[in-house]
Amino acid sequence: MIKYIIQRIIAAFFTFLVIVVVVFFVIHSMPGDIIDLSSKIDPTVREVILDKYHLNDPLIVQFGYTMADYLHFDFGYSLKIRPGVPVLQVVLERLPITIQLNYFAALLILPVGLILGIIMAIKKDTVFDHISSSLVILLISVPSFVLAALMQYFLAYKLGWFPIILEAEESLTWSKFYSMLLPILALSFGSIASIARTLRAELAEVLTMDFMLLAKAKGLSFRQTIWRHALRNSCVPLASTFLYLFLGVLSSSLVIEQIFSVPGLSKTMLSAINGKDHWLTMGIVIFYVFIGLFMAILADLSYGIVDPRIRMGGKKDE
Amino acid sequence: MSAEVNQKEKVLEVKDLTVSFNTLAGKVQAVRGVSFDLYKGETLAIVGESGSGKSVSVKSLMGILPQNATIEKGTAMFKGRDLLKQTEKEWEKTRAREVAMIFQDPLSSLNPIKKIGLQISEIFTVLHKMPKKAAKEKSLELMRSVGIPEPEKRFNQYPFHFSGGMRQRIVIAIALASNPDILICDEPTTALDVTVQAQVLSLIGEQQRERQVSTIFITHDLGVVAHVADRVAVMYAGKVVEYGTAEDVFYDPRHPYTWSLMASMPDMDLDQDEKLVALHGTPPNMLVPPPGDAFSERNPWALKVDFEKEPPMFKISDTHYAATWLLHPSAPKVEMPHVLARRIQKSLERKEAKARG
Repeated sequence: MIKYIIQRIIAAFFTFLVIVVVVFFVIHSMPGDIIDLSSKIDPTVREVILDKYHLNDPLIVQFGYTMADYLHFDFGYSLKIRPGVPVLQVVLERLPITIQLNYFAALLILPVGLILGIIMAIKKDTVFDHISSSLVILLISVPSFVLAALMQYFLAYKLGWFPIILEAEESLTWSKFYSMLLPILALSFGSIASIARTLRAELAEVLTMDFMLLAKAKGLSFRQTIWRHALRNSCVPLASTFLYLFLGVLSSSLVIEQIFSVPGLSKTMLSAINGKDHWLTMGIVIFYVFIGLFMAILADLSYGIVDPRIRMGGKKDE
Repeated sequence: MSAEVNQKEKVLEVKDLTVSFNTLAGKVQAVRGVSFDLYKGETLAIVGESGSGKSVSVKSLMGILPQNATIEKGTAMFKGRDLLKQTEKEWEKTRAREVAMIFQDPLSSLNPIKKIGLQISEIFTVLHKMPKKAAKEKSLELMRSVGIPEPEKRFNQYPFHFSGGMRQRIVIAIALASNPDILICDEPTTALDVTVQAQVLSLIGEQQRERQVSTIFITHDLGVVAHVADRVAVMYAGKVVEYGTAEDVFYDPRHPYTWSLMASMPDMDLDQDEKLVALHGTPPNMLVPPPGDAFSERNPWALKVDFEKEPPMFKISDTHYAATWLLHPSAPKVEMPHVLARRIQKSLERKEAKARG
């Protein structure tokens, strides 16, 4: 098991390197000058800035300098979005609201998705199943930002039930939470739908298996056979899906934060890309890549936790 | 002999059990009026080829028929009540405690990702509300009694650590855990290889004698039947075509289907240039069962009436019945196949020799 974890970490590290290299060159090949806004700037000051950031050197040399800085965990400074503020500090400042949103979304996604999936599997081929299956397909196909925009227009603007954008209040108060509801819902629907769909398929299959018949023949009630035998078995393929879903939530928050004016990390990243604040962009991308790879490792390990056949696969005799 | 058998206590009395399946193609009549009795401590073997309705018959005695199956009519009297009329709530009290079942494929009948020990001990903790520790003790004892070596170590292993025979032993242990009155074995040795088959059969026999549990044994292997059965019911196309004690059916078979089954069994006495008798054709489509005897199409001794009218159960002796027009008083005299007659003769001789010592 430990060997397996180490293998996964090494593989993840190389993936990380490749992504960072690609992102660096893609970002730096965007057209336009990094300090193009300031055309009225004193040419000598301009030269000083260019020198300071090695912008006169070839790209490959710049890459070398950047990587050397990163090795010392120096992620540089924001140039335009928050001029002069260290990138790490910007990330840490903007992170909490993004985490909060994702956290609440997860709290909503897991129970609702699981319960919906279980009910659909048990009531397979009934009216309830047909209706919710169609709804689930609809929610999976419609991108979250369309839902977000629709909800914002109808529920917030037309009906006035919710605030249109997020409250600017720093701390988490009730009214702030209330204004977070729409973005949370928009983030959740797609994931709820895909969890429910996967669980329905898996559970429905497990329910037809021979060992479920034995569990019934043992004298367990229907409820007990579901709890004690079916659920964990149908979670084997789901375990990794769960974790990847949170990545999905993270990436859809890129757009959702924009729509609801949430001052989170994702919104900052969009402004950083548009404003050619390369160091900030790099910093946030690295952060996201790190989380993504971490989740991927967790997902791989989670198979082993739920399924002993995978955990003990390598060993002949336990 | 028959008088003695009749004195035994009847545990289960199945009458006119009829089960059909609703499929997209129409109603499949899987079981058509099956009747049999099960006596205390005895083994009833139900023999028949695949699709003859033997599994479906016993699944209705466990209340585990698939969703699309309906019990059209019939009764199964057990302890003064009709099992076929039970609700799911009542079944939860009946299954395992009164009627237990061993399934065909031990490889798929255990939950692959749950520890073997927990799969046994959950019977005690959930059904019998025992504390965990006592349940574990009981499970270990049970594992020992079905011949699992090192049960303490095996308790914490998963099914994939077990061989097929060992898994079937676990399934047997699970079935016996709640001391049932009736044990149904649905082809328990079909998925095992031959050496293991013998071990599992003798384990079932041993446990059955020890616990005095009445057993219904389903198989298509006549060799197995000869080993285990006190009584035999031969099924064809959803009906019992011959029913009697093991002696009746093995030494005095009357139904042409029983003849064909037994004659097609290879054995050591076969002469070198003799061909093995094979039963040609396939069972009828049960969506539209033939109007007469379902076996008539494949029956070399079929009479005209076989194609027109279903034969009733003719009584041969107090314990022996067969459903074939050949037993009608006005039917022509027909002899059983030569191979079979010789084989029965030989085994009777062997039996006598054994009796003389």
